[in-house]
Amino acid sequence: MALARRGGIGRYYNVNGWLFVAPALGLIALFMIYPILWSLWMSFQSGRGMMLKFAGFSNIVRLWNDPVFIKALTNTLTYFVVQVPIMILLALILASLLNNPKLVGRGFFRTAIFLPCVTSLVAYSVLFKGMFAHDGIVNATLEAIGVIGEPIPWLTHPFWAKVLVILAITWRWTGYNMIFYLAAMQNIDKSIYEVARIDGVPAWARFTHITIPLLKPVILFTTVISTIGTIQLFDEVYNLTEGKGGPSNATLTLSLYIYNLTFRFMPNFGYAATVSYVIVVLVALLACVQFFAARERDR
Amino acid sequence: MNLRTYLPRLTSVALAGASLLAVTAAEAKEITVWCWDPNFNVAIMKEAGARYTKTHPDVTFNIVDFAKADVEQKLQTGLSSGTADALPDIVLIEDYGAQKYLQSFPGAFAPLSGTVDYSGFAPYKVELMTLEGQVYGMPFDSGVTGLYYRKDYLEQAGFKPEDMQGITWDRFIEIGKQVEAKTGKKMMGFDPTDAGLVRIMMQSAGQWYFDKEGKANITGNAALKASLETINKIMAANIYKPAAGWADWVGTFTSGDVASVITGVWITGTVKAQADQSGKWGVAPLPALSIGGATHASNLGGSSWYVLESSAEKAEAIDFLNEVYAKDVDFYQTILTDRGAVGSLLAARGGAAYGEADAFFGGEKVWQNFSDWLAKVPSVNYGVFTNEADTAVTAQLPALTQGTPVDEVLKAIDAEVSAQIQ
Repeated sequence: MALARRGGIGRYYNVNGWLFVAPALGLIALFMIYPILWSLWMSFQSGRGMMLKFAGFSNIVRLWNDPVFIKALTNTLTYFVVQVPIMILLALILASLLNNPKLVGRGFFRTAIFLPCVTSLVAYSVLFKGMFAHDGIVNATLEAIGVIGEPIPWLTHPFWAKVLVILAITWRWTGYNMIFYLAAMQNIDKSIYEVARIDGVPAWARFTHITIPLLKPVILFTTVISTIGTIQLFDEVYNLTEGKGGPSNATLTLSLYIYNLTFRFMPNFGYAATVSYVIVVLVALLACVQFFAARERDR
Repeated sequence: MNLRTYLPRLTSVALAGASLLAVTAAEAKEITVWCWDPNFNVAIMKEAGARYTKTHPDVTFNIVDFAKADVEQKLQTGLSSGTADALPDIVLIEDYGAQKYLQSFPGAFAPLSGTVDYSGFAPYKVELMTLEGQVYGMPFDSGVTGLYYRKDYLEQAGFKPEDMQGITWDRFIEIGKQVEAKTGKKMMGFDPTDAGLVRIMMQSAGQWYFDKEGKANITGNAALKASLETINKIMAANIYKPAAGWADWVGTFTSGDVASVITGVWITGTVKAQADQSGKWGVAPLPALSIGGATHASNLGGSSWYVLESSAEKAEAIDFLNEVYAKDVDFYQTILTDRGAVGSLLAARGGAAYGEADAFFGGEKVWQNFSDWLAKVPSVNYGVFTNEADTAVTAQLPALTQGTPVDEVLKAIDAEVSAQIQ
């Protein structure tokens, strides 16, 4: 008890406490903080493979003159702007439908809609690729019921390839967001709805004026999570397009571009690190905007 | 025990363990090889390993099958991390990427010049693995190209095998239109996200994305321009079945949906795997572009073996490659007959298998043809940025088919490539 005698019990607990968390802190420093700082340093270097040299801000200048980077950035933002609102809205609607206690087979539907997000990213991407192939089941079905005359070039046309990626991630992640809403809805006091119903508030108004405001923190949370997920989108695009982000770079995302810069192209770790910092800045900015937007409406 | 004294002790135990493992491995002398394609490279390396083990019973082989992209990614990750523990002794690298690895990771690969007699190999293979006077790899297969066609479909459309010999791409498209009119089959499978066909056409006229000095050669490249125009004509004539990705593309001809395949000789094994199509296939020379310098010979892919400098079994690995791949002519006959692999060891061409007729191709002497064409493949400098240029080309193909003039397309490709190669 030498320690306790010298510094008192408070100091004893302090030192011991820090000793207990020290291994964890050490690991975090080694596997999180060190790589983050090192990649920041790398983003100021450029060169081929291991032959990196300090290059100042040349990587940032290169970003502006790189048509592929601009394309990847535009694609990523397109996914974000189109897909996140669709998914959030769809998840909200599904959640409020499945929250109805009178609905028969609720358990089944909840499970069915949640199932996609426990499937493997790779497995479902490969499956989607088969289903949406030129003579795949989707085109065959659409042709059979007479919706289309010619098969839709899902994987070979720039526009349809984007649609396919959006379809795929919406299918995969809507159920995930829905579960959050469902959980939050069960926490809303039933008497609020009863009062509204007695006052003659229509169902739609109950949804927009009671459910959505009360779900706001959860909506904010899922929006931020979905934003981060979409900005970092990689797996689906990689597997649907054999890692190329094609056709015509139409599905290329920032993450896939980083992968290409590191593993498919002449490896330039410095430039790849710079692009990954673009994602960091983008996610941070968008999260700030979302928090700000959510706070404004409170007043 | 405090952490400072504990950690080094732990490390030394771990190190002792690791070196113990290394010692055991050295006694057993197991050579680990990474490569792709179980029906081709993997099977061929197993055959090579079996031959070497016969004369050197103490050396065994562990041949690991990955997808090509995974081999490249694992190699690139391992080399950049600076720790060689997880790397194999021998790795297969596609020829387009050879210089990229040699230049980006100096000292990572063992030079073989001095051990291997390179004068016996096709010169273009040796050149692409040479850096600053040192030769690093063991040249392996060639990707000499040919036009594989379905004799039965073409006969229905009124064409004889003679009609397929020495044609131009324009004639090929004409034939394609008639084949579709008569048989309802598309002429070929085409994946618009794969620039392979562009590369085949361009190299057949002796050009590449880069010139001999490695500078971008796009806007003034007549062969690239003619290739893009030809691709555009093929797409406009709609004589192709669209494919998304490699497996899908292979499916277009294994299913019998298309009348021809234009690619490297290594596809032979896949074509022949469809036993019910035996006797229905023929092989003709590649169609030629209609510009000066155009030939009927080109190359697609092809790869070579490289020994890692850090390998614990470096000496055995080099000796193995040298004994089998640089000397064993009989080995080349076996892999030709079994797998359709046309090696780049020139002496192998004198072997018996090369003169044999193949029943699958209706008794044609296809191997003799391929080895004749191999000698005529124009030599080009693949440079280090082929993947980047490929991406730029496929990115502009839709614009081309939507009517953008080819010169503007070339400018756009040039802009993208210039931004990438630094």
